Amino acid sequence: MYKVLKATFITIWSLFVLFPIMWAITTSFKPESAVVNGATFIPFLEYQPSLIGWKAILPGPDSLTNLLTPTLNSFIVTAGATAVSLIFGSLAAYGLSRFTYGWKNYSNADIIFFFVSQRIMPPVVLAIPFFLLLKELKLLDTHLGLILVLTSGLMPIVVWLMVDFFNALPREIDEMAMLEGCNPIQAFFRTILPLSKPGLTVAGMFCVIFGWNDIFFALTLTATKVLTLPVAVIALNGTVTPYWILAASTVFSIIPLVGLAFVIERFLSRGNLGGAVR
Amino acid sequence: MAKITLSNIGHSYNKDKDQSTWALKPLDMVWESGKTYALLGPSGCGKTTILNTISGLVTPHQGRLLFDDQDVTDVPTAQRNIAQVFQFPTIYRSMSVFENLSFPLVCRGWKPEKIKARVHEIAEILEITDKLGRSAVKLGADEKQLISLGRGLVRDDVSALLMDEPLTVIDPQSKFELRKKIKAINKINNLTVIYVTHDQYEAMTFADELLVMSFGEVIQRGTPEQLFEKPNSKYVGNFIGSPAMNFLPVEAKSSEIYFGSTKLKTSSAHTAVTGKAIEVGIRPEYVSLVTGTGENVIEAELLGHDDLGSVRVLKCVSGGFPISVKIQRNEGLPAGKNLFLKLPSEKSWLYQDGHLA
Repeated sequence: MYKVLKATFITIWSLFVLFPIMWAITTSFKPESAVVNGATFIPFLEYQPSLIGWKAILPGPDSLTNLLTPTLNSFIVTAGATAVSLIFGSLAAYGLSRFTYGWKNYSNADIIFFFVSQRIMPPVVLAIPFFLLLKELKLLDTHLGLILVLTSGLMPIVVWLMVDFFNALPREIDEMAMLEGCNPIQAFFRTILPLSKPGLTVAGMFCVIFGWNDIFFALTLTATKVLTLPVAVIALNGTVTPYWILAASTVFSIIPLVGLAFVIERFLSRGNLGGAVR
Repeated sequence: MAKITLSNIGHSYNKDKDQSTWALKPLDMVWESGKTYALLGPSGCGKTTILNTISGLVTPHQGRLLFDDQDVTDVPTAQRNIAQVFQFPTIYRSMSVFENLSFPLVCRGWKPEKIKARVHEIAEILEITDKLGRSAVKLGADEKQLISLGRGLVRDDVSALLMDEPLTVIDPQSKFELRKKIKAINKINNLTVIYVTHDQYEAMTFADELLVMSFGEVIQRGTPEQLFEKPNSKYVGNFIGSPAMNFLPVEAKSSEIYFGSTKLKTSSAHTAVTGKAIEVGIRPEYVSLVTGTGENVIEAELLGHDDLGSVRVLKCVSGGFPISVKIQRNEGLPAGKNLFLKLPSEKSWLYQDGHLA
């Protein structure tokens, strides 16, 4: 009985959640007539599927706008910010997990809070300072500028997640590595890092999602040279763009994240933690 | 191999000024090269702190540490060449058994052929050659502990092997096997070994010398025989031996010792003790049953007995004080409740205020 209830609830809930996505997917394959002349549901019977929406967003004779360049920009910015955040964030987290730092009354916990506090602040507060900063550094409308700004928001997530992750890994492992001739850096790279794949995967996933979805900083700090995918999609929305093209552009922009979700799901279920000691 | 010298080493984890609360109270100690030592004591008495001080995982609050007269107090752990086996088997999960065993050698930049030969040599001794290709995570606790030990043994530059209760998590069946292997390895390598345990049998079977610790202090140091025969305090008498040493309160009257009205002779100088809190200590193994009164014989009442296989421990009470007697099984149980116990003077010692007089 309980199982039936659970299954029913999950089915209804997933229909509810998936409905907008389904709507976007079907609309993206509809021709003009199927969208504007009242609701149509069944392909091939009520309407003939067409690629008119998809052709409009990809390069070609029917192209209205080219989303491939913004996609490449988004890839560069997201990958760059994620890589920088993961490398420096996990190093910082390892240090905060294994060594004690302090000055007067401030300790490791305060340093961790300092990192997390970067995310407590609403991004809008930072828009003007970042703009002026990047202007001074001549990094406005560049990949590097956006990567640096996104890193400031992503690294706190990495530090916060990875400190907890490293705390859960037994200290004996790095102590043993040091006894066997590693310095702390070698101990981290040779013994701790190989065990950290699940933690780094989760942290990386958050970085990719937040980085890919970022619109605020991309909108304020870049213009024509580094147009990212969310900004390009929103720009389509700003002009009078037909629904089928909008639908195609939104579906197009979530494909990478959906793909990533499938890859990572398998990876996460493989990575079980603990058990290095005892 | 190295001689290890602790010079006035003391440590407090919370940097307390009051030395009486320190985890390790300042102590001087020399550990000879090639010998096996056992640190014995209850949990929290500072055994692990000593080990971690030697390996460099803990920097002592005060004092200097010397390996062969070379000051290593400020030398990083990696350069001290210490092999340590922790209480819980520590393995590198992401690696195979072979990779685990070769890790210290890879850290030292050995050539792959040389590493392979050495790892196989050690695997042979530990009898895990057939498991070298397997993932280390999938092994049982005893095999994991063997690998921890193996990683210490593959190195040819080890100054000392420190073992921190390595058999605690091992089930009794495998314990015997593992203990045998550790002993065999110690013989082959002739290392300086410091073995921490709270199990006195383990300590006595492994060690050339035992150190009994309590509250951050070494109470007594000596061979297993010395600690058994002549413990320097009630603490050691109670800690070493099973059942614990018997202690009977006595009175000193003009350099003669009386338990109730019975005059007792002991091996201690009777003039050494005065006043109160004087006790006679004797091992249950040395108390014997006799048929009638005589010199150093006290009367006791039998309350019950524990059967320990080849021996029995008789639980008696004399003058209101408990006394245990260990007898061989083939001696048979005494017939009545009222016993005469002989306390041989050469095995009896006087203790005052808990310390050997």
